[in-house]
Amino acid sequence: MTTYFLRRMLLMIPTFIGSTLIVFTILQLAPGGPLEQTIQRIQMGAAAQGETAGSTSDVMSGGGSVLPESALKELKRFYGFDKPIWQRYLIWLGVYPREVKHRDFTLVPGETEVIARAGKKDGQVWRVTVVRNGDEYSVIDEGTFSEVWRAKAETVDADGTVHGVIFQTETSGIMTGNLGESYTYQAPVTEVMKPRFKISLFFGLTGMFLSYIVCIPLGIRKALLHGSPFDFISSVIIFVAYSIPGWAMGGVFLVLFGGGSFWNIFPLGGFHSPTEIWEALSLWGKILDQLHHAILPIFAWSIGSFAGLTVLMKNGLLENLSQDYIRTAFAKGLSEKRVVWVHAIRNSVIPIASGIGGVIGVVIAGSYFIEKVFNIDGFGKLGYQAILDRDYPITLAFLVIVVVIRLVGNIISDIALATVDPRIRFR
Amino acid sequence: MSIFRKKKIQDPREISLSIYKKRWLKFKTMKRGYYSFIILIILYALSFALPLFINNRALLVKYEGHYYFPAFAGYYPGEKFNQDVPGEANYRLLSEQWENSGSENWLVMPPYPFGPFEDITVKGNAMYEPPSRQHWLGTDDTGRDVFARLCYAFNISISFALILAILNYIIGISIGGAMGYFGGKFDLIFQRFIEIWSSLPMLFVIIIIASIIRPNFFILILIYTLVNWIGMTYLMRAEFYREKSKDYVAAALSMGQSNLKVIFKHILPNSLVPVITYFPFAIVGYISALVGLDYLGFGLPPPTPSWGQMLDIGLQNMSKWWMVFSPVGAQFITLLLVVFIGEGVREAFDPKVYSRLR
Repeated sequence: MTTYFLRRMLLMIPTFIGSTLIVFTILQLAPGGPLEQTIQRIQMGAAAQGETAGSTSDVMSGGGSVLPESALKELKRFYGFDKPIWQRYLIWLGVYPREVKHRDFTLVPGETEVIARAGKKDGQVWRVTVVRNGDEYSVIDEGTFSEVWRAKAETVDADGTVHGVIFQTETSGIMTGNLGESYTYQAPVTEVMKPRFKISLFFGLTGMFLSYIVCIPLGIRKALLHGSPFDFISSVIIFVAYSIPGWAMGGVFLVLFGGGSFWNIFPLGGFHSPTEIWEALSLWGKILDQLHHAILPIFAWSIGSFAGLTVLMKNGLLENLSQDYIRTAFAKGLSEKRVVWVHAIRNSVIPIASGIGGVIGVVIAGSYFIEKVFNIDGFGKLGYQAILDRDYPITLAFLVIVVVIRLVGNIISDIALATVDPRIRFR
Repeated sequence: MSIFRKKKIQDPREISLSIYKKRWLKFKTMKRGYYSFIILIILYALSFALPLFINNRALLVKYEGHYYFPAFAGYYPGEKFNQDVPGEANYRLLSEQWENSGSENWLVMPPYPFGPFEDITVKGNAMYEPPSRQHWLGTDDTGRDVFARLCYAFNISISFALILAILNYIIGISIGGAMGYFGGKFDLIFQRFIEIWSSLPMLFVIIIIASIIRPNFFILILIYTLVNWIGMTYLMRAEFYREKSKDYVAAALSMGQSNLKVIFKHILPNSLVPVITYFPFAIVGYISALVGLDYLGFGLPPPTPSWGQMLDIGLQNMSKWWMVFSPVGAQFITLLLVVFIGEGVREAFDPKVYSRLR
């Protein structure tokens, strides 16, 4: 059993690499990425400026491109587009060194060394010497080979002038816990995600808890009263719940209770009241305000799993009730209560227990739809917004988190299954 | 427990019927599912003739001795009928004018004389009109008739789901079947692949792809198939895997039947039951998915009538309740019909007899 789970854990690695590689490649190959968008933004800004300033000719002279070569190079370096895709992927993973702090230098023909500025150190300009040795370049700092700086040639002119760059390297990426920096929020991805993550978790956990607490007893009751009016009526409700996605139902609730055209009972969305009001509330007021805002989204959230869970419970119990061991239990003269609650129920929760891993994924990743309908700044909405903004670090970080949660969730499902059902042996 | 029960056969002819015929007869006895099936089929068939019922173009125009058929022939500029409007002729106004002036020209409008695309730029249309006798479900933020859009979206949604389901089934049955039947390396490689694929959040990937290439109807189907074929493939693989180890397959093989024949003649018919019972629920999933994608703005391109887009606009104009209730209602009714069908099909194909032993 342990070997089985160990093997599963190890298999997570190639799966993780495979799935992230697919999305990474799609994103990198996509036209209109962050590089193009930035260039466009700068060009539009320059064009607008050119119009007001009477259009100086040298801005527009570059055949439509207003960006000087060096700025373009700078941008490419910033977004990492100066490397082939496989290198970018490895850098992003954090197993291949990333080049940072680029400084240009120029080496005139015939010379073999040049002094380059490497920024500041201890309040003074830090100069290092770049030495050319054939096609190799090395950096000498204060008489010894520098440990932090490296150098390489980028372009060589026709007359032999070398345009090169010195840089430092660092190895940091997903593997080292560095999820990168968001383009749109200008902050580390982890910091952007943290508060939103909590919000989604709040809805996910309460929603899951609620749906379990309603569905399991309801499923049991429906199975015990199979064919009764109660069973029929609750089945109708379940059909209705199954035929409208939870988020669409949420929209209907908003129209009904949000004060637009019918009743004004619940707020129109948001996680809680706007900050000005929120800050002034007492603790009790905050709790009430939070609940007031949370009721509709949580209801919409749990209705999504309502039908499936109830039917799963009901059918599981019904199936078990028609098994031979139940007949035996009755034949022994056990009371119905004992047969149902001790013998049958335990076997019927097995499929529900094994679904727990899948639920974890939904709980944590949130729901784009519900968060969009109720205008909640949750985790799902963040990922969705990141795609719209072409914010690749957040998009990829979102993906990484969801994929890891799913992979771990699958294993948790199996463990849960093996725990509740001793007959199951994984090999 | 069914072996303990002797099933009564009312009609002796039933014995010789094929299994599918028997299942069909059984399905017919499930009134709710059967009538839902008939209603849905009729509605879907009618929805192909929607331009005849719900259209802003006249069915027939008699003008200066000539007959025109705008509903079929398409665009006629207003000048054609000596009408002073920009662009296309406004047949509703035309009809009024001719009637008032007692002219000899006349035209026949469809029963519901509003189209899904004509907006505020057409004279006489207004934004945010509440439901009335004219506009049964009101108009939206650009003055388009909600009811007309709803009906056209019905056709698109069902077509989308059907094509998607059929594509998925073809891929799933062929790849999944081959995986289960041949096993070995082929199976192993695809299994890894499927594992990778299924660890990806599908909706997220679809949104990423859809944000890069603005999809039309068929590209959207292609993208969706690309990320969604896994489920069916896995189901079929398990089915084939199980069936392959059964005696009848060994018997067929030992008699020298070819692989192809074993797959298509022997195993496939035996492994279709779960696939068929799943079909209606797959349709439910695909219709909801289309609504969801359209709602997020990554579905069909904008002027296309779609429930998701209508819902999106509706939720931006929360006080105009008809703009929210109409698409949700339409989706609800459609999905409910499909769910009823699915319930009937399941009962007919895969009946579960629960006997309380007490």
